[in-house]
Amino acid sequence: MKHMDKLSYLDNLENLSIYIIREAKAQFKKPAALWSMGKDSTTLIYLCRKAFYGKIPFPVIHIDTEQKFPQMYEFRDRMVKEWGLNLIVAKNEEAIKAGVGPGSGKFECCTKLKTEALKLALKEYGFDALLLAIRRDEHGIRAKERIFSPRDEDFYWDYGNQPLEMWDQYQKAQEEATHTRVHPILHWRELDVWRYIQKEDIPINPMYFAKDGKRYRSLGCMPCTSPIASNASTVDEVVEELERTKAAERAGRAQDKEAAFMMQKLRALGYM
Amino acid sequence: MENVNVVFVGHIDHGKSTTIGRLLYDSDSVESERVEEIQKFTDELKRRFEFAYFLDALEEERKGDMTIDTTRVVFKGKDRLYTIIDSPGHKEFLKNMLTGASQADAAILILSVEEGIQEQTRRHIFLVSLLGIKHIVVAINKMDAVGYDQQAFEKIKDEMKKFLGSLGFEAEKIPFVPISAREGDNVFKRSEKMPWFDGTLISALDRTVSVREKLLTKPLRFAVQDVYDVSGEKIVVGRVESNVIRQNDELAFQPSGIHVRVERIKVFEGELKEAKAGDAVGLVLSPPTTIRRGEVCSLAKDPPKAVGEFSGELVLLFGELRKGDTIVVRCSTAKVNCEVQDISKKINSETGESIEELSDVVNPNEAAIVKFRALEPLVVEKFSEIPELGRFVIAKNDKNVGAGVTLEVGK
Repeated sequence: MKHMDKLSYLDNLENLSIYIIREAKAQFKKPAALWSMGKDSTTLIYLCRKAFYGKIPFPVIHIDTEQKFPQMYEFRDRMVKEWGLNLIVAKNEEAIKAGVGPGSGKFECCTKLKTEALKLALKEYGFDALLLAIRRDEHGIRAKERIFSPRDEDFYWDYGNQPLEMWDQYQKAQEEATHTRVHPILHWRELDVWRYIQKEDIPINPMYFAKDGKRYRSLGCMPCTSPIASNASTVDEVVEELERTKAAERAGRAQDKEAAFMMQKLRALGYM
Repeated sequence: MENVNVVFVGHIDHGKSTTIGRLLYDSDSVESERVEEIQKFTDELKRRFEFAYFLDALEEERKGDMTIDTTRVVFKGKDRLYTIIDSPGHKEFLKNMLTGASQADAAILILSVEEGIQEQTRRHIFLVSLLGIKHIVVAINKMDAVGYDQQAFEKIKDEMKKFLGSLGFEAEKIPFVPISAREGDNVFKRSEKMPWFDGTLISALDRTVSVREKLLTKPLRFAVQDVYDVSGEKIVVGRVESNVIRQNDELAFQPSGIHVRVERIKVFEGELKEAKAGDAVGLVLSPPTTIRRGEVCSLAKDPPKAVGEFSGELVLLFGELRKGDTIVVRCSTAKVNCEVQDISKKINSETGESIEELSDVVNPNEAAIVKFRALEPLVVEKFSEIPELGRFVIAKNDKNVGAGVTLEVGK
């Protein structure tokens, strides 16, 4: 790809994302963004800053399972200051106290510590829209998503009955006590995210860069995330590595491969 | 790099998902884990490996061997990226098909050589034509099942050409490719089994789809999304829908009729001299003026028309639409109540056959030309003139129930 072509390609992705983010702000009373401190949601937060000229007019939620890497917490606290974010830390304290963790089984652990924690936060604050940094190319199930994806009270994703979504006319959830997931970077690929990080010089969690021949390509909770063999220690080298690889991005993420259709089941119940 | 969105359409079981899977697999675009995941699933359930499983990820889709919802995958061609949109063939999922197809620059029609034109072939081509997709490639699939016979290919090709011609497509310009998706013949690689044909589906695609019209030759339109107050400064944010907006341009907004000058074009931590079609930017206007979401602006010398009446060809998916009904029309960022004045040229979208010349009601899955009277002024353009402002979705109680393109714009 020629250099100029790459730039205009990334500009197109960015323009649509900013358009979607501004639609969310215009169409909802109380939106919030989810931030896991990974590369995708950090890019989403960066795009939100661009959309609103620096000051994001809604909170940023971190779902804390207490199973995250120390570097993620450090990165979080640094960026909250630097970007002036209004951070909400959401936790399912009760489940954590009751000892729910990786030992409880992956399905149980993800559902209780992530999905349930988010439900609690939504109930407490009454958000009607959640901006999420999922992408179509991450997983076959995520490829089925809409830009605006309605959820019912129980967070159920009615994937068999998704709305008509044409020409940027997105449809919101309609009933009380529901919310809408908004997916501003659904159309990006993993490589696009990294090229954009490279172009815009976005601060990124250092765990993505190789140390002693290993780096993380996708970040989740400590017990369920493993690094890949890599020597890519800078953004440029990561971009170069991704231009060559055929391995899947989430190869290091346990919940994707536990059993057939696990991701679909998790997502139908409201997992991100 | 250019990104071209391609929707795959055709009758159920004619091989849409399989063709896409084959294209991805042969072009080396599939991650090894995804192949393993499918291998694991097919082993677990003692099934044959299907290329369709790359796209049909839902349990119901795999177990029922049927695409339910639209999906997208990106595939790298020689000079461009293709975003491939798979869409369900079954009529229950028309809504999902339209969702996918509305994003497409080009369509590939998959037609089984054994079955030829079927009900859903007609429906999909009718909808492709209604949505204004101009570029089509026809792949005649399952050539392995007829012993790669040229006559069989020519017969279906002639039938299809006639049908496309009857819908107003330039049939002579549409390429036809004989393929076997399952065996991989002429999809990505030239097949030795059909020496009588020179070409592949991917080469036809590379040749046919021209660069997406950049909307730079159309008059300027900018659609307002919102107005932000940033450090005491009012910024009108929105998207340039066609042409270019420049600093110091004299603008006219509609429906408000306000005339202003672009003092500055703002992006985060910067300013631009100009912004082109597709750009999401902010405008600082002089004098500062109250502009609202849903307004559209142009150059002052060529103002957009705020209209009270317009007609469009639409497809209805849910509920019925009766003469005299009031319904919400969503066009760009505007949302306006409109009254249905006339219903004509009703067509069964399932078969593409016409039903009635004049009618009082549009039923689900029917297409018709509907004349609307907007209860507040609305900016719409003819689809043939400015597509971005010439297409609309209709909604009832915040639910999108249908969509269409504008044919005529009145006063």
